[in-house]
Amino acid sequence: MSNITQQSIQSPITPTWCPGCGNFGILGAIKQAFVQMAMPEENLVVVYGVGCSGNMADFNRVYGFHSLHGRAISNAMGIKMANHKLKVIVVAGEGDTYGEGLNHLISAARGNHDITVLVHNNQTYSLTTGQSSPTTFKGTATKSTPDGLIEEPMNPLTMALAAHAGYVARAYAGNMAQLINLVKAALNHEGFALVDVLQPCPTFNKVNTYQWFQQKVYDLDKEGYQPYDQRLAWEKAMETEKIPVGLFYHDPSLLAYHKHLSQLEKQSLLEQRAEKISLEKPFQAFV
Amino acid sequence: MMKWNWKIAGQAGEGVMVVSRMVAQLAKRHGLYAFNYLEYPSLIKGGHQTGQVLFSDKPVFSQQRELDVLIAFGKAAFKEHVKEITKKTIVIYNQNAGDLTAEDTNDCQGKIINLPLNEFARRATKTKLATNTVAFGITTAIFGFDKKVSLSLVSEAFVGKGEEVIKTNHAAFMLGYEAILAELSPLHEFKVATDNQVITTGNEAVGLGALAGGVQFYSAYPMTPASAAMHFLADQQKNYPLIVKHVEDEIAAINQAIGASYAGVRSMTGSSGGGFALMVEGLSLAGITETPLVILYGQRPGPATGLPTWTSQADLQFILRAGHGEFQRVVLTPGTIAEHYELTKLAFDLAEKYHIPVFIVSDKYALESHQTWQQPPTEVEVKKLSYMADKDLSADDSYLRYSLEAEDGISPRSVPGQPHGLYISNSYEHDPSGYATEDADMTRQQTEKRAEKYNGLIKEIPQPELIGPKDAPTTFVCWGSTVNVLKDLVAMTDKVNVIHLPCVWPFPSNAFIELAAKAQRLVMVEGNHTGQGEQLIRQETGITFKENLRRFDGRPFYAEDILNWLEQ
Ligand SMILES: Cc1ncc(C[n+]2csc(CCOP(=O)(O)OP(=O)(O)O)c2C)c(N)n1
Ligand code: SF4
Repeated sequence: MSNITQQSIQSPITPTWCPGCGNFGILGAIKQAFVQMAMPEENLVVVYGVGCSGNMADFNRVYGFHSLHGRAISNAMGIKMANHKLKVIVVAGEGDTYGEGLNHLISAARGNHDITVLVHNNQTYSLTTGQSSPTTFKGTATKSTPDGLIEEPMNPLTMALAAHAGYVARAYAGNMAQLINLVKAALNHEGFALVDVLQPCPTFNKVNTYQWFQQKVYDLDKEGYQPYDQRLAWEKAMETEKIPVGLFYHDPSLLAYHKHLSQLEKQSLLEQRAEKISLEKPFQAFV
Repeated sequence: MMKWNWKIAGQAGEGVMVVSRMVAQLAKRHGLYAFNYLEYPSLIKGGHQTGQVLFSDKPVFSQQRELDVLIAFGKAAFKEHVKEITKKTIVIYNQNAGDLTAEDTNDCQGKIINLPLNEFARRATKTKLATNTVAFGITTAIFGFDKKVSLSLVSEAFVGKGEEVIKTNHAAFMLGYEAILAELSPLHEFKVATDNQVITTGNEAVGLGALAGGVQFYSAYPMTPASAAMHFLADQQKNYPLIVKHVEDEIAAINQAIGASYAGVRSMTGSSGGGFALMVEGLSLAGITETPLVILYGQRPGPATGLPTWTSQADLQFILRAGHGEFQRVVLTPGTIAEHYELTKLAFDLAEKYHIPVFIVSDKYALESHQTWQQPPTEVEVKKLSYMADKDLSADDSYLRYSLEAEDGISPRSVPGQPHGLYISNSYEHDPSGYATEDADMTRQQTEKRAEKYNGLIKEIPQPELIGPKDAPTTFVCWGSTVNVLKDLVAMTDKVNVIHLPCVWPFPSNAFIELAAKAQRLVMVEGNHTGQGEQLIRQETGITFKENLRRFDGRPFYAEDILNWLEQ
């Protein structure tokens, strides 16, 4: 058993992201978070979506699962139920999480499954070379919406609140220190956690740039904001003129999904795998 | 061989299906073999429903058309089945549903006995809900079953509902029992016998087989005819280290099962055609990540929503080809209910050993019908297959999950939590450590590694079975549930035998060719319009069929119909 270090988590593959991509900051931050948490390397599973964000799968040496586009949360839920002693984190894009796989996000939150979902929200489909995404601003011209997007952007934070998520945060890829703390707190929260990370994509998103974010974001923490009131969290999450970042809502009292299951009271499912099985009881019902 | 054929018909909500199962159980407790077939529409209340039980002192596997006894709760229920009534049929008609007119009974050759079934139920229990219990009393008396056994079955049916409910239902039972004895003397007299059989549906047998195979995770979304497998297993969570998850959609179902399996527990999902259609991308994921997975596939007629509560064998080619890209799979097609148990248990071993998806393909007919079968040993062993032991994971972290040095394509896996076993399970093509690759050589090598599993599988899959006299003039070929009907046909005539395929992929070509070569006349029997099994046999063996029987109206085959066809 050895804990994750900066060296141990280094994969042999060099990141292939574009220069200046916000994904570099996020990768640095989550590695830092893992190292600071002093986690045994075998007890972490990272489940990746498919997108530029999900390509992080090759850059970490961990137990990993590079899923299908949209399905990382489902794989993560299965992993967590099979062995709830693992820390399970999902790394995926907003197209993946709020578009293709939204149903799973809502279910994971409603069930309070103990997984952390980290969304690289770059407001565009980047790996597929720049179409609109569920968080692209209305009116934006993209390859798939040359005359401007007709839809309103979705709000992931209010959506998560409405789905009873117990940990809802927004971070900014340009603020590593805060992101590290939010990821650590999310992983330490025993239950569902959403960390929506604003991620500049200098190649395809010419609207939401570093400069744009620099002028827009402000830190909730510095305002003395307390993240324990759902209504207040909702109000903050509705702000668009300025963009608050930090922890919006936290309810540590909610019981995680696996804690409701009496069959997991003493051991994980995996630990209870049996070599000998008796079918005496179920057969009794059919005589 | 003695056999009796009993049927009950009424409206959905009248308890027809419950009492039908009880009659099959009653026969079993008298040492007999039984088959219980249910027909019902996709409605909760109203609509025509039937239950029919064929029971015998010799094994029976399917339903029969000509009736010994029909209990009709209403006029429609009577008229619908007039054609199944023969001279020897006794018809019990519920006269509270309105008297039958001369016109109604015109075509009826049987003996009709009018009884006020609803009134009996009301007299005993104050409601007509117990009409089915009255019918159970009548049935018990007609066949000369032991009424003590019947009364205990009634008690079992109302367990937890209170003494009063049991008492009044016993009274309803006795009103039926005595009223019919005033009209006729019993057809037979059966003695209670201890038997070593169980009676289950296909769904229950699959559930039991899954438990025997060490299932620990079942994720699904309800869909007839596979829902009852989920219900059965959900109930078993109290007895086993098992999680059953009713998820948000079938895409989640297959992906959660894949996640759980990746983490090291034996996992399964189940659905029907529409639900499985949503799982197809996940199937492909199991293929490339080499994650073990068992899938119950309950066929019903499509396309789309089709006929939700009826039967079909029209998804075979879909199942064989589902999933983009090329990867190995096993497609098991159990016939009898006992075989549903055995093959489900086997499915878990094959999936785990070869790191592949394994299908159990059945249909509404087998999954929702009851059949008696020999109780298997209750103590079973589950081996750990194709895993890396902790001690074999080298401290220098040199373990390669997708090593190309893999006999029959099997490279043992580690699971999260094991030190020095770190790897990435990848939906992208990958190198031996799991990292994504687009290298041409590696792509070819990993594709070949996965394909080599075929070489081991072909030696392990269940082989085709020849049923009946070796040199019969006609050989029927079938896969899946159809063998039940053909087994009963073999019992009716010595002029036929049957080749049953319990596994259609990998296709057991050698064994099939050998059996087919001995046949004098080959006839394919299957429940679809296009001859999907026939196509597969032609593709794999070059054997073509000159004759076939195909049924695609949602109904199962009947042995009597096939016998008629043969004689014409
Ligand atoms: C089922 C399916 N549909 C479409 C795709 C193609 N695809 C790959 S990534 C992607 C969108 C990526 O956007 P996002 O999730 O926001 O991630 P990003 O690349 O921006 O990080 C799409 C549509 C796919 N891989 N699978
Ligand atoms: S396309 Fe955008 S998101 Fe993708 S790597 Fe380049 S900058 Fe990053």
